Amino acid sequence: MKTAGKKKFTKLLTYIGIITFLFFFTFPIIWELSTSFKTNDESFAGYNLIPHHFTIEGYLKALTESSMGTYFSNTVFVVFCIALGSAIACSMAGFAFGQLKFPGKDFLFFLYITTLMIPVSVTIIPSYIIMIKLGWANSYYALIVPFLFGNAFGTFLLRQFYQTLPRELFESATIDGAGYFQTWLHIMAPLTAPAIATFALMTIQSQWNSLLWPLVVTQSPQFKTLALGLSDFRLMRVVNWNAMMAAVMIATAPMIILLFVANKFFLRSIQLSGINR
Amino acid sequence: MDNQELELGSYQLLHPEKKAKNKQRFRQALAGYLFIAPNFLGFFVFALAPIVATIVLSFSDWDLVNPLKWVGWINYKNIFASPASWASLKQTILFTVLNVPIQCFIALGIALILNQKLKGLNLFRTLFLLPWVCMPIAHALVWQWMYNYSFGILNHLITSFGFQGVRWLNNPAVAFFAVMFVNIWSYLGMHIVLLLAALQNVPGELYEAALVDGANAWVRFWKITFPMISPVFFYDIVVNMIGTLQIFDLPFALTNGGPGNVNLYFNLLLYRKAFSYFQMGEACAMGVILFALIAFLTFITFKYIGSRVNYDQV
Repeated sequence: MKTAGKKKFTKLLTYIGIITFLFFFTFPIIWELSTSFKTNDESFAGYNLIPHHFTIEGYLKALTESSMGTYFSNTVFVVFCIALGSAIACSMAGFAFGQLKFPGKDFLFFLYITTLMIPVSVTIIPSYIIMIKLGWANSYYALIVPFLFGNAFGTFLLRQFYQTLPRELFESATIDGAGYFQTWLHIMAPLTAPAIATFALMTIQSQWNSLLWPLVVTQSPQFKTLALGLSDFRLMRVVNWNAMMAAVMIATAPMIILLFVANKFFLRSIQLSGINR
Repeated sequence: MDNQELELGSYQLLHPEKKAKNKQRFRQALAGYLFIAPNFLGFFVFALAPIVATIVLSFSDWDLVNPLKWVGWINYKNIFASPASWASLKQTILFTVLNVPIQCFIALGIALILNQKLKGLNLFRTLFLLPWVCMPIAHALVWQWMYNYSFGILNHLITSFGFQGVRWLNNPAVAFFAVMFVNIWSYLGMHIVLLLAALQNVPGELYEAALVDGANAWVRFWKITFPMISPVFFYDIVVNMIGTLQIFDLPFALTNGGPGNVNLYFNLLLYRKAFSYFQMGEACAMGVILFALIAFLTFITFKYIGSRVNYDQV
């Protein structure tokens, strides 16, 4: 048997080990934060973590010399629309699959499930052609509409929650004369609110960080999102590392803040989906 | 079900209340379709129809400008005859075969360390998730900065110890692993959280019994912990594999497939075919091939690893 003192010592070592590892693990993000507040000269010359000359020059440059401001508001707008639209659409469909009875339900649900694991590369080219034919390429429509009605995954996820709600609840609500829409909106949807919030968060994260689809459908700076804006930074000839790291901070800070504010929901989203790429 | 409906039909004339019930059933079905309608519209137009269209277009030659021509299996033949696609396929599989086990086993190791009564566990978990919530393109820029040959902090550290600086992203032998390292780093937190949750679900009584029997930590891990979490671990491996086979953002942004073609993974090649050369037919065929590859490897994994997973949970 270990003595109490030895146990305490092992625990202390564990903490020191974890914290040291976490320092190296989060170092790239600490380093980007540090570089973003340095002057351009210091970013090249100094390897100090705390800037000698604390400046927001990099942020000003990122906002004025590239269109980070526009990209930011575009991203907020696009992500907001998609998160709201897909949460509503998937919640409605999840309710129908989980609680209502109608012919063809099982077949439709089977169709949904079979497409869950289909890679993006199988759907992206026809989706792009649809955008071209509709004349939506290079517009907000192309960024938003394909995701606005949700996806099979969201419906599948929310159906699991609607299914667990007692059938009597649904029956008593409809007997009281409430229509199906009222029953969903006022009784069923509020009960699945945590699941809907988790799904909305997953949507926000994946859309905020999405690169491939915006890359394919947008060219003009006025419609570009943050991921695309950062991607353009790579191609600049004169590199200001402080401005570049400031741009990275601007693009990632909202997700980092969201992680700290809503970490319960992020943990849930991982446990629900396993993997969310 | 059918019987019931027939019976209901004949009852209707005699029993008006049955008619009301039938009407209610109709209303419910109508409501069901209406509730699904918006989601189904999106699903049909942007998932179901494109899947079918990709398969159909993979037999065509089309650049979106000139009229579409049907060419049969030529796209597939071209892909399998081209050394570039074989090289890309090889790199993709090599990357996946290395990346997935390394990522999952490191995550398991860290999850095991975190799986004790620790103060601040929630903060640790959140910090591990930091890279995962940020966009891969942001990581690409940060790591380009850290990997920078002349000014990057990595070479600064290496040279300050008297060694030669490394061309992290320009030397083909190094760049493959440099990209993989960033990929492992950026998704590691998510795997840790997933596996830690599984570890926390292992009932403590099992360990107590093993301790009485005098089993050491190594035996306890392989006889109790690993079998108990094996369904989650296997799931993690499979989903990680499916995701890694489709890797795009990080190699695209870090080296754009280079140096040479060491990081030109299958999806990057597909992207080039479709949106740089506008060979839509061949790109569609590549999509079909990628899907077939994923399905095949998933099947193999289930057959050879999945059969060893222990699903008898307490």
